[in-house]
Amino acid sequence: MSTAASGTHNFKVVLLGEGCVGKTSLLLRYIEDKFNDKHLTTLQATFLNKRLNINGKRVNLSIWDTAGQEKFHALGPIYYRNSNGAILVYDITDEDSFGKVKNWVKELRKMLGSDIVLTIAGNKIDLEHERTVPLEEAESYAAMVGAQHFYTSAKLNQGVEELFLDLTRTMIERHEQNAQADTNRTSQVLVVDDEAPPAQTSCCSGNRSN
Amino acid sequence: MDGTYDEIISDNPFFVELKAEYASLFQHCITQSWVICVPRIGSLTTRVFTVEDFCAHLLVPSDELPETHYSTLTEKQVTVTNKVITLEVTKGLPLQSHILFEETFYTEDFIKYKVWCIETPLEPTANFSDNTISKEYLTSINDCIDLLWTQAAGRQVLDQIEHSVKVFLKKNTALPVAVGPLRDTVSELYTQCLQIALQNRRLRDKSKSCKQVLENIKLAVECYMQHLLFEALFKPICTCCAYEDSHLNKKIRNMCDIQLRDLDIKKELYHAVPKAKQILSKIDTCNTVLEKVLCLKQALNAINKKDDSNNVVLLTADDLLPVFVFLVIKSGLPNWYSQLMYMKEFRFSGVGKGDGDESAFLITTLEAVIEHIQSGALAGPPDPESYYYESNLTEENVNGKERRNSLTESISTSDTNSKEETLEYIFELIKANHCEQVQAILLRNQKHIQTIQQNENNILKITFENNLTDDDDDDDSDTEIYHKLCHPLCNCKKCCCKISKNLLKTSPTVTSRDSHGLTALHVACIHGKATIVEYLTEMGAEVNATDLNECTPLHYAASRGHQNALLLLLHSGANINQANIDQNTPLHMAVNNGHLNCVKALIYFAEHSRRKIRINCVNESGNTPLHLASKWGYEGIAKLLIENGAEPSLQNRSNKTAFDYAHNLKILQVLKSCTPNLYEYIHITSSNVKTLNCKTDSAASLHLQKMSMKLNDSNNQVSKAVENLKLIDRILKAISYGDVKLACFYMNINYSAYLEIKDKPDTFKQNSQCHPLCECQVCKETKQCSSDFDINFSDTNGFTAFHYAARYGLDEMCKILILNKAKINCVNKKGQTPLHLAALNNKTHVIRLLLESGANINAIDLAGNTPLHDVCAMGNIGAAKILMNYNPDLTMLNGGDKTALTLAKEKVHLTIIDLIDKYTNRLE
Repeated sequence: MSTAASGTHNFKVVLLGEGCVGKTSLLLRYIEDKFNDKHLTTLQATFLNKRLNINGKRVNLSIWDTAGQEKFHALGPIYYRNSNGAILVYDITDEDSFGKVKNWVKELRKMLGSDIVLTIAGNKIDLEHERTVPLEEAESYAAMVGAQHFYTSAKLNQGVEELFLDLTRTMIERHEQNAQADTNRTSQVLVVDDEAPPAQTSCCSGNRSN
Repeated sequence: MDGTYDEIISDNPFFVELKAEYASLFQHCITQSWVICVPRIGSLTTRVFTVEDFCAHLLVPSDELPETHYSTLTEKQVTVTNKVITLEVTKGLPLQSHILFEETFYTEDFIKYKVWCIETPLEPTANFSDNTISKEYLTSINDCIDLLWTQAAGRQVLDQIEHSVKVFLKKNTALPVAVGPLRDTVSELYTQCLQIALQNRRLRDKSKSCKQVLENIKLAVECYMQHLLFEALFKPICTCCAYEDSHLNKKIRNMCDIQLRDLDIKKELYHAVPKAKQILSKIDTCNTVLEKVLCLKQALNAINKKDDSNNVVLLTADDLLPVFVFLVIKSGLPNWYSQLMYMKEFRFSGVGKGDGDESAFLITTLEAVIEHIQSGALAGPPDPESYYYESNLTEENVNGKERRNSLTESISTSDTNSKEETLEYIFELIKANHCEQVQAILLRNQKHIQTIQQNENNILKITFENNLTDDDDDDDSDTEIYHKLCHPLCNCKKCCCKISKNLLKTSPTVTSRDSHGLTALHVACIHGKATIVEYLTEMGAEVNATDLNECTPLHYAASRGHQNALLLLLHSGANINQANIDQNTPLHMAVNNGHLNCVKALIYFAEHSRRKIRINCVNESGNTPLHLASKWGYEGIAKLLIENGAEPSLQNRSNKTAFDYAHNLKILQVLKSCTPNLYEYIHITSSNVKTLNCKTDSAASLHLQKMSMKLNDSNNQVSKAVENLKLIDRILKAISYGDVKLACFYMNINYSAYLEIKDKPDTFKQNSQCHPLCECQVCKETKQCSSDFDINFSDTNGFTAFHYAARYGLDEMCKILILNKAKINCVNKKGQTPLHLAALNNKTHVIRLLLESGANINAIDLAGNTPLHDVCAMGNIGAAKILMNYNPDLTMLNGGDKTALTLAKEKVHLTIIDLIDKYTNRLE
């Protein structure tokens, strides 16, 4: 999706999660790494651009922070539609926030199918001693729904870059697979019976790029 | 859109050469995580790069301040602030260069390094080319025109685009009123314009050399096109979104007194709101998507928070969204949905960049905000009185909850049933619709007050007129308190205390007001509790009481859309034209908040009770209700106002008429339809009429009616003809609504008298009086139902009330008219009798009534048609059946020499042909 002619991937990534789990901190940690945050405008805390070049593949990440408060939950679809990746953040010291993540996963899978790359982030591992979400539970859940799981600490800058890097790699992979499937499909369109819905969605998304 | 300079670093000759020719330096650099600066393509004049050139562009972070301080490999100090690299130079001014973007590279073996693309080389001696276009950010339409002009070295591209837009507009005089097709047609034009631009050799060459130039050209073309097209384009968009906009407006209007704290907005952000609001409200004046998006961005950026050292603190989406919601609500823009649609659907140049860029984010944020408002998730503003409590609460918190010592508090807390005695408690009860409780408390308090006053009088009497000795003073008003005293006149401390406590007791009554001047009636109207409103008015609450904003209960009922409460107030004599502090009448309030039901109630009540509602009255900013309806896109209300004499050409204080405010074609059409087409009238539902009817019977309003009738009579004599014309219009309108009672009222026919007669079937038939001067009961009643108004008076098209009654099938009305000796065979300008109209509209009851009352079944209109001709042409089976029973002449030919049967055959109305055949057979 969203590949400009130059071969640059434009990926949209949404950050979802309950309020106070540290979505914004995570985002800022990832970007702030370079530019001094004093010069970010208000907007740049909710919308950030990051250019990556992974093995010669250019990626332009647009990271959208979303509102986490319950009253804004209904606005989710407006934000996450057409996104390539989602980072679902929970607080390892807050079981409820993990429950929210599960809800988000369900919703995203329902609305966007397997098109979207999911990454679950257990934030605040600097508060390991207050952990309430068991390590195994979180990881097995992530594996079950086909999402990557990362432990992060925005405070200590742990795992943040790895998280984004891995997500980006997966998105590139997914995108190339889809592109592949797309060309396969178009060449075999008379042969293969068109019944797999995921392939269908990828077809639509592939077309949107131009 | 802005700040999105882009180029492929790995294609940049500088970077390519560094990697290829100086591999070891490059490797060393990336393993040490040094920053590589790459001058943007075209900024370095093409020459052979030397080692020094590269060394000058490799930045080594300093040990102390790795974020901001660097030194180059040529031992020069570099500082980075706000995306600007400053290079210290030994002499002269320091060299500065913008960081255009940062790109983080990851190698196969997971080594990470950063590259900054910079605007100008970090070399003091470098003489760079003047090709500055690539970094230019387009921020306004002027930038776009500049770009197309200067880069193409002339006006021709602009002229050509202008020409093709003109051709486009000529070709598409009526743009499609649906977003999809509209977008497609405009998109086609965009492609065409872009082709024009790229046919220009200069532009083509430049865009080939740099990707950024192409992007900018695209954007500039789009903007220029939108700029030219806006006037023609935006109206159809607004028309498409008219429904959504008016609904959104209704939602927004109804929470316009929402406060920052209602949305959980952080206190630290309050200061930024006015500025942001000011910026955002300018979005309306922007014509292009680019400028609109930029306006959104500026508004959002204006919302900021500064910490103690004056640094901007970052805000999360959770903080930002509520502020944005507030801004949209308060912006006063009538077409947010259309604005959103425009930005979302007509941004052609951004398409290739995917859906994730900053503009998309801004537009999505706006969409989210609108969705949030639309969804009703906002509870709306809390009730006005709650501000009062809230402020109390915060005060309490600040003072460490030590407010309890105040005098009134101590008194009320010492009282056992103190809770019941506060006005707040009563307001709460009203809100919860506990009618009996409210009733009980108010009754008790009223009694209490009365006794106090009485006792006070007595005490005064006793003290000042010592010789007065009658002891029967508290016979009826005997109160517990005075029994508890040592002696009725005792002055001991204990007794005094008791008396004073009794006097000080804050016992609210119907006339009590809170700190905002609200009475219980206000609160009941705010919450629309009709039963309580009724009770309170009976209790003698002041109907026209005004609060601090000079709002009467009627204002609140109208603005909140409580029709029942509103009608009750009106019937209790509330002033329908009362203006509040902003000179808004209740009609203004109801219109502004889009409550069609209340607008109807106000207008029809005024009409019924012959009170004059000032439909064109202006508020402080000179707006009539029609201005407001037009501005917020309330189509139904605008129609209603127009029908009732609202004048769309009145100017407000800013010299704007309602036409100027109409932002979509639908409203404009309504406004232009000042000469109304009767068939398009909205019919008031019968329940509305009933609610209005049942209440006009109250004694007070009847009295008022009579008064106004008398007034009208005297007026009528002055200019009877003009009055009659106006009146007939009103009568016909009333009949078309099916409102028999109103029509009777206009015609001065006593409707209730008619009803009585109707109940006695024998008297109904008796058309003649016993004797011209007979005074018997029956004759009196018959006399009463007749009127002095000429019942056969017609409007300019020759329509009488009878025509209308027949057309709309009101048999009751017809009966009344017949009773009042209306001409049964009267004709309009087309020669049609009421029977024609009834036949045309298949009103079977009326047809039967007319024929029984002696209407001419073979009457011909100017086209030679008998009613039977009409019936056959229309295929009205029911009407045909009835006509057949009254011996119509089948042989009559109309203007086209056709009999009724030929007409029926032409239209293939088989049942009717059948009916006529049977009838002829029967005749034979």
